[in-house]
Amino acid sequence: MKKILAIVTACLLVILGACSNSTGSSEAQETKKTASGKTEVVFWHAMSGDLEKSLNKIVDEYNKSQDKVEVKPVFQGTYEEAQTKFNTVAGTKDAPAIMQTFEVGTKFMIDSGKIQPVQKFIDQDHYDTSQWEKNISSYYQVDGKQYSMPFNSSTPVLVYNKDAFKKAGLDPENPPKTYDELKAAAKKLTEKQGNKTSQYGFSILNYGWFFEELVASQGGLYVDHENGRKGDAEKAVFNGKEGQNAFNLINDMYKEGTFYNVGQNWDDMRAAFQSKKIAMFLDSSAGIKTLVDNAPFDVGVSYIPVPKEEDRQGVAIGGASLWMSKGISDETSKAAWDFMKYLATPEVQAKWHVESGYFAVNPKAYEQDIVKKEWEKYPQLKVTVDQLRETKPTPATQGALISVFPESRQKVVTGMESLYQGVKPKKALVQAAKETNRALEVANQK
Amino acid sequence: MSITRKWTTYLLLIAATLVLMFPILYAFSISFMSGAEVLEGKIWPSSFSFENYRDAFEKVPLLHYLINSFAVSIFVMAGQLLVSSLAAFAFVFIKFKGRDAIFFLFISTMMIPWEATMVPNFLTAQKLGWINNYLGLTIPFFALAFGTFLLRQQFKTIPNELYEASQVAGISRFRFFWNVVLPVSKTSLVTLGVYSFLTTWNMYLWPLLVTNTEDVRTVQIGLKQMQTQEISTDWGVVMAAVVVVILPTLLLLFLGQKRLQKGLTQGAIK
Repeated sequence: MKKILAIVTACLLVILGACSNSTGSSEAQETKKTASGKTEVVFWHAMSGDLEKSLNKIVDEYNKSQDKVEVKPVFQGTYEEAQTKFNTVAGTKDAPAIMQTFEVGTKFMIDSGKIQPVQKFIDQDHYDTSQWEKNISSYYQVDGKQYSMPFNSSTPVLVYNKDAFKKAGLDPENPPKTYDELKAAAKKLTEKQGNKTSQYGFSILNYGWFFEELVASQGGLYVDHENGRKGDAEKAVFNGKEGQNAFNLINDMYKEGTFYNVGQNWDDMRAAFQSKKIAMFLDSSAGIKTLVDNAPFDVGVSYIPVPKEEDRQGVAIGGASLWMSKGISDETSKAAWDFMKYLATPEVQAKWHVESGYFAVNPKAYEQDIVKKEWEKYPQLKVTVDQLRETKPTPATQGALISVFPESRQKVVTGMESLYQGVKPKKALVQAAKETNRALEVANQK
Repeated sequence: MSITRKWTTYLLLIAATLVLMFPILYAFSISFMSGAEVLEGKIWPSSFSFENYRDAFEKVPLLHYLINSFAVSIFVMAGQLLVSSLAAFAFVFIKFKGRDAIFFLFISTMMIPWEATMVPNFLTAQKLGWINNYLGLTIPFFALAFGTFLLRQQFKTIPNELYEASQVAGISRFRFFWNVVLPVSKTSLVTLGVYSFLTTWNMYLWPLLVTNTEDVRTVQIGLKQMQTQEISTDWGVVMAAVVVVILPTLLLLFLGQKRLQKGLTQGAIK
């Protein structure tokens, strides 16, 4: 409920912010300098906890490595809160030069008119973007234009309890790859004590992202117009065959009693896994390392399951990217671009990957020694990278581009939850699609 | 009261206390646990170490945030007490045209949710250059309709004859306010003070909006800073910080509880 409220207020503020912004002038701001004459680049982010620590370390090293630019990272709350704040101040002197926005905010940022595409700097600088991981950077590309610089990216993976696999007589090195295998394994993994189930086979968090990924991995689109990448999306298409497969899977397993409803909270889901309440679940690749560290058993990681092996298309990324805001001076934008380039170097990306668990934007990072060492310790991390690199670049795995994504996700979650109340999968999906259509219609009218 | 009745009363009270206090007790217990223990759903930590507390102070500048929160809360409390009591005094003792109409208009602002005025307020603060400043964190909260209402109800219990007598004796309005009205309204003032301190202490969104540097940020932002979204949060450390953060509020609550109860019910019965 709180989350919905937050989203609603965020949307409201976005609108209010958009209205009030017309009063602000759009002239370029002066370059801010620090006392020592360095160009100041303010960098707003939503990285909290250990992530913020790693990020601050990288920024510190960058600031020390040269004497022209001083980057100032500022934590601005969750992605939603940061976005709200950005919308309110964009174009004024309080606006940041670099803004981190989550992947579903991509379309919104493009349409906002408050940013400048990084493609501008790529062209000016003749920067070679082919060194970036194609499957990541393509998410932030529209009409062949790179809009933002990919930064922290993750994908979903299947996480399973190896010890439980052994106990159930399953091969821990051969996790289920298809829906049928998943169902069979979950059945074996489900343990009952009397009338109560002490261990469930499988679970998916009630979160739109996992549904999107299950659809994308089968090559299914989320919205029409090639996932909104060829013109503005008008209709949701996730209620097609692929979406039904995903919903049917959840529904079937829930009915069989092998699926556990973990709710909407990431930490609840992980707690259920650690306490052996569930034996397999889908998680973000970025969370794997802490999961391995905290689990009192062996943790295995595998690709997300598909209905049939030949359907496998790969995954779309989640996470966030860095945007260059508009209305800052040329000098500041150049300084910000210099920092972005620094972030994309293999050395920095290697550090980032090892410390955060997010993917490296620059695949050369994986050849760095620290990554190799880390992979020896956590072979699970390599699996996550392999899954991404084996992804076939199609509009499906590029990810959908719609401005009302947060809203649509909420509808899908409602659909997922209605399954547990006995609503037919098809009906739940159609309902979610219908409501997404309505949101799209309203958004397109603006 | 018979002994059995006493026993049952106290047993019930203890049970109710436990239920009510459980979140805080559990937070306290989690603050000593390692990440794995939290996720396994243990109730009690296997060993007591202060590692989480150390981490909490290391991860974010918690001490600095605490000082900021204190400063901001004290300022807002003082400001609210001053503005509310003066406004309430005017509404009760000074007769002017349309007084009641203005008062009800004033009270009706309580109906407007604070979130609705947040963005306009922010733009005003921005124009005034109050961003990244204690001014932006405190001044917008000085005028409080609830506080004025609470104190007005209290001031109304002071007989008007007293005011008239003081006028006859040639005592200035301010001296009457300072030497007569305030001392007899201590309970309500303490109530309002505790209330405003606690609400300011717990503010999150506004401080996040108007600050961009760690120098002026408050403690609630620090708590949020410790919680990650996609990667599992280290709840032990978060709870350690929470325990540190709620200590002042708990202390204040225990110290001011009697007066708080009295003051709040006073306003309600009127």
